[in-house]
Amino acid sequence: MTRAVAKSELGVGARLLRKEDARHLSGKGQFVSDLKFPNLQDVAFVRSPHAHARIKSISIPADLEGQVFTADHLPHLTEMRAIPQVNGFRVAGYPALAKDKVRFVGEVIAACIAPTRGEAEDLVGQINVEYEILPAIVDPESVLENAPSLLHEGWPNNLYIERVFEGGKVDEARQAAEIVVERRYRMNRQVAVPMEGRAVLAYRDQRLDELVVYDSTQVPHIIRLGLAEVLGIEERVIRVVAPDVGGGFGSKARLLPEEVIVAALGAQLDHPVRWIEDRGEHFLSSTHARDHDYKITAYADARGVILAVDAELIVDAGAYALWPNGPFLETGMAARNIPGPYNIRNWRVKSFTVATNKAPIGPYRGVGRPGACFAIERTIDEIARQVGRDPLDVRFDNLVQPSQMPYMTIANLLFDNGDYPGLLRLCAETIDVAAVRARQKKGEPDGRLIGLGFACYSEQTGHGCGEWVTRGSPFIPGFESCRAQLMPDGTLVLYVGIQSHGQGLETTLAQVAYEELGIHPAKISVRHGDTGLSPFGNGTIASRSTVMAGGAVAKTSRLLREKVIQVGAHLLQCSPSEARCEGGAVHGPRGSVTIEEVARVAHLRMEALPEGVEPLLTVTSTYQPAIDTGVFTFAAHAAVVAVDVRTGAIEVLDYGVAEDCGTVINPMIVEGQVRGGVVQGIGTALYEEIPYDEQGQPLVGTFSDYLMPGSAEMPEIKVAHTETPTPFTEYGVKGMGEGGAIAPAASIANAVRDALASIGAEVNETPLTPRRVLAAIRAARDRISPANGHGQRK
Amino acid sequence: MQIRLTVNGKPVRADVTPRTCLADFLREALNLTATHLGCEHGICGACTVTLNGQPVRACLTLAVACDGYEVRTLEGLLTDEIMLALRDAFHRHHGLQCGFCTPGMLVSARDLIQRGRAGSDSEIRKGLAGNICRCTGYTDIVKSVRKAAEALSEADKVRPPSGNVSTVPA
Amino acid sequence: MCHPERARCRRMKAAAFEYTRADSLAEAIKVLCSATEAGQDAQVVAGGQSLLAMMNLRVSSPDLLVDISRIEQLRVVLDEPDAIRIGACVTHAAIEDRAMPDPSRGLMPMVAGNLAYRAVRTRGTLGGSLALSDPAGDWVTVMQAIGARVGLVGDKGRREVEALGFTTGLYETVRAPNEIIESVRIPKLSAAARWGFSKFCRKSGEFAHSIAAVVIDPERDFARIVLGGSGAAPMCLERASQSLLQRAGFQSVEQAAEDDLANRDDAHDEFQRSVHGATISRALSQVLS
Repeated sequence: MTRAVAKSELGVGARLLRKEDARHLSGKGQFVSDLKFPNLQDVAFVRSPHAHARIKSISIPADLEGQVFTADHLPHLTEMRAIPQVNGFRVAGYPALAKDKVRFVGEVIAACIAPTRGEAEDLVGQINVEYEILPAIVDPESVLENAPSLLHEGWPNNLYIERVFEGGKVDEARQAAEIVVERRYRMNRQVAVPMEGRAVLAYRDQRLDELVVYDSTQVPHIIRLGLAEVLGIEERVIRVVAPDVGGGFGSKARLLPEEVIVAALGAQLDHPVRWIEDRGEHFLSSTHARDHDYKITAYADARGVILAVDAELIVDAGAYALWPNGPFLETGMAARNIPGPYNIRNWRVKSFTVATNKAPIGPYRGVGRPGACFAIERTIDEIARQVGRDPLDVRFDNLVQPSQMPYMTIANLLFDNGDYPGLLRLCAETIDVAAVRARQKKGEPDGRLIGLGFACYSEQTGHGCGEWVTRGSPFIPGFESCRAQLMPDGTLVLYVGIQSHGQGLETTLAQVAYEELGIHPAKISVRHGDTGLSPFGNGTIASRSTVMAGGAVAKTSRLLREKVIQVGAHLLQCSPSEARCEGGAVHGPRGSVTIEEVARVAHLRMEALPEGVEPLLTVTSTYQPAIDTGVFTFAAHAAVVAVDVRTGAIEVLDYGVAEDCGTVINPMIVEGQVRGGVVQGIGTALYEEIPYDEQGQPLVGTFSDYLMPGSAEMPEIKVAHTETPTPFTEYGVKGMGEGGAIAPAASIANAVRDALASIGAEVNETPLTPRRVLAAIRAARDRISPANGHGQRK
Repeated sequence: MQIRLTVNGKPVRADVTPRTCLADFLREALNLTATHLGCEHGICGACTVTLNGQPVRACLTLAVACDGYEVRTLEGLLTDEIMLALRDAFHRHHGLQCGFCTPGMLVSARDLIQRGRAGSDSEIRKGLAGNICRCTGYTDIVKSVRKAAEALSEADKVRPPSGNVSTVPA
Repeated sequence: MCHPERARCRRMKAAAFEYTRADSLAEAIKVLCSATEAGQDAQVVAGGQSLLAMMNLRVSSPDLLVDISRIEQLRVVLDEPDAIRIGACVTHAAIEDRAMPDPSRGLMPMVAGNLAYRAVRTRGTLGGSLALSDPAGDWVTVMQAIGARVGLVGDKGRREVEALGFTTGLYETVRAPNEIIESVRIPKLSAAARWGFSKFCRKSGEFAHSIAAVVIDPERDFARIVLGGSGAAPMCLERASQSLLQRAGFQSVEQAAEDDLANRDDAHDEFQRSVHGATISRALSQVLS
């Protein structure tokens, strides 16, 4: 239910400085690795050096008994089983400790415990494992032929699931096409690289008789659920606490073996244990991401209006399905986002979600959408070139128009509202197209070629029950919870089920509560990330927290306000209908009483309460938006690049974003999310990749090989907004956390295409490394003059 | 091995194994956990502290090699004039999100300002190349450093170059 | 550049080792020799920026580290009539900050300032870089280009080796196991000398795919073009250097360089060749028009 709000300095719309800054700027943040416990010991893991092998034996020196744990030492652990409710999805268990077989380099075989991590790593070196090496499945396309080996026993092939998505009538519609564009696109495998890796610390609290697990996770309640299942213990005796979490971006939203193992050890040993992921382990076995291969055939008319898209999509999902959702989530999102924000009424995607001997994939900022955006946005540019029109104009002709809103896409995504063409225009203004074209024409003194590229997307956020059911999710995160508790002194604590790990929710949720109750944000505490404190919640993923938790806080605060007014009115000797709550007090016709006074009465002076009103001022409720198909944030991105045709190096000279995420609670935080997302997207576009060799060995292991976007290479990111509230959420807010990362690969690849237009080179694979760019230039030049084989090429 | 050093202005005596890096020594033995480990191979910058006034990677410095030296972490620099300006600017201009890279970023930024190398956005960007942030996309960090530098008088803060060298005429 | 061994290394804390700090060169050499006799793998450490990273990854696990970073002798800079002799333990940061007279007319401070990151430069040393001879490291290429000489001291006494012959392959040098680099002697460039430098790396501070350094000092009858970068040991481009010395024009020198490039180990790699061509051209264009 949308409520229009007047902008204030402390509530919705305010650029309120963040409450969470104080501790981090003093070095007093508390990440898992900062926590101190007596007798804490460190865990290091024995990991498989082979991509695919049977374990024949594990030899542990006798003097290490009690310090080394294999699957045999923890027989009560059940396998993690991701079981999406999707027909045809093949389920296989993922054992936390490998027993018979290992299926990717880095898979955990044993845990070693010692007083320090260095000593634990020494123990790792003393464990001898004998393997029978099996052929490694590394090329996902091989699954479409006969594979030399099977990853999971009982499966007919190495496919999690094969699924065709379709809508409209592709075969009919393409008959009317005047042009056909056929391309292949690849978005290579990468990792999320939060600056804090994963970390788990567990111990048994003897007083409370519960297992306490400190976990660098985005979804503590879900983790508790998973641990209870796999460890075989009741949920009421597990507490999962996510303290400060140093970034997650989706990679900390799955239950992973190390969490299970450390929790199991904490439950059974008489001292706390922890595992702090090192960077090498992060590359090896944290949630991997992307790894999509698209074949796109687009059919359009002579003006470039797309009539149909026919696609084949292969997602290389790695060796196991991660709990709880498994990899089909990725495939489904990619397939359904191929039409993008365009009015495409005929669409078909043959998808293959393949199991390979690589680390398992999971969500990472944008999930399936960066790949889908890359595919459709590159294709639109090629369509434009083929029909001889400006790619911007072809986009305008294809975009869903405001008059069509609400618009149900052919892939069953319901765009709620938005002026997509308006935002694309705003983006073009932001980047100053005319100035870029002038610069292009003038030429660079250093000989580099300038290019301009666009890409846009509509990001589904805050989606609820129905959407998750459609996706076959085993758990339905269609609501959020909040317990709002007024203390006797009138200060407020909000207990929420999300987990803020950089998004500033400790601040924005306080702004929402201020909006409803008039209590100053400095007097509001937001407690999140702790299953021992908050009601059950679904964590921070899928750009949901502002919509869901913001809504829960708003709703709960309003319920609380009602009771505050009831009590306050009684104290003011008027009826509740004559009273209002504003500026931290209840005001009646004959006077005012502060919330502090009301709270004091409700806790300490119950005799002054009105008839039928119980003590305490604590309300718990859940919230879901008025629509469960999601609210859609649209953004248009523009990239200006300079390409060095001798080295293939690409510099991003300028980057602009125009977006509309509905009502903005805190513009400062939204801009920060856009910029952070964009730079991650630039990482996908230019730098980040985990290649594997034919034996399934990953070829990167440190930041020397895996390049991260750094301050010296990044441009200023310009952000322009419009604010169109959606009718379906509190205040009209939408989510937007992932969006920035969705379009940069596409906008940059399009900019490169533009820069190299005179050569005719295209790069359709991310990252666009200098090597790939030069190869594309060479290939284009060979096409132009194939006889010129012996010429000196500069 | 026995070592004696000064950490955040206080004398410290400890017995450490040679392989203990300065970061682990600070974090585990001295409970100074602001200094974070993000890669342990010297690239990400999360572990940056000062050693005898110069920024160093605590992950690539052995505690035993710091015998007799002076170490400062963020905890020991909080009220330094440059650091105060930086902390205020980072707060005002949203220079942090998850906070994990922040201590190392602040120590590096302080060194930049101290050496007079924060005069322009491009200079700041180049100077912070050794500190990776995954959350902010850098724009607000650069703005924060520039604002802090502007708030301070540059001339007062430029220090002489690093002095592990003595030149002798042959 | 990919390091497959590092990809396999699944450890990030160094193995145990012994550590000793030497107060003099003589002491350091003595310790190294004793270690050799005892069958111990001993390594010298100064700044440790490369060595400790490798030890954390357990790519290198010496039994004993001999810390030479505080030996006064190794931090001294001697101002000789025709050269500056820089102690091996002088840091990159000191060179960047021009803490000593600069023999290179700006080349060395510029290179130092663009090497890795400041917090690495305050510890990493010139001698350490040369001892490691990572082909993607700047100093190996630059010292060769500028005609430096490496001073070594060991149990058999002192010797000096041309930088050009000091590095013999990837991470390979002529330094004997019990020898320590004492100093690097860099001839003072004359007033009319010119230099050019260009490196190609994808990200600031990271390992370079290609490094080209050009120095011409006609008064000293010296001209050299050296090409470094990951993938192959740095090499002096002999024909191009000759051509440069003979005052040939830009295109001739460039052509000669291309001919020289054919002898490099990565000559078959079209991308590398193109990138090398670019850095060489750019370095040359700073010196010739």
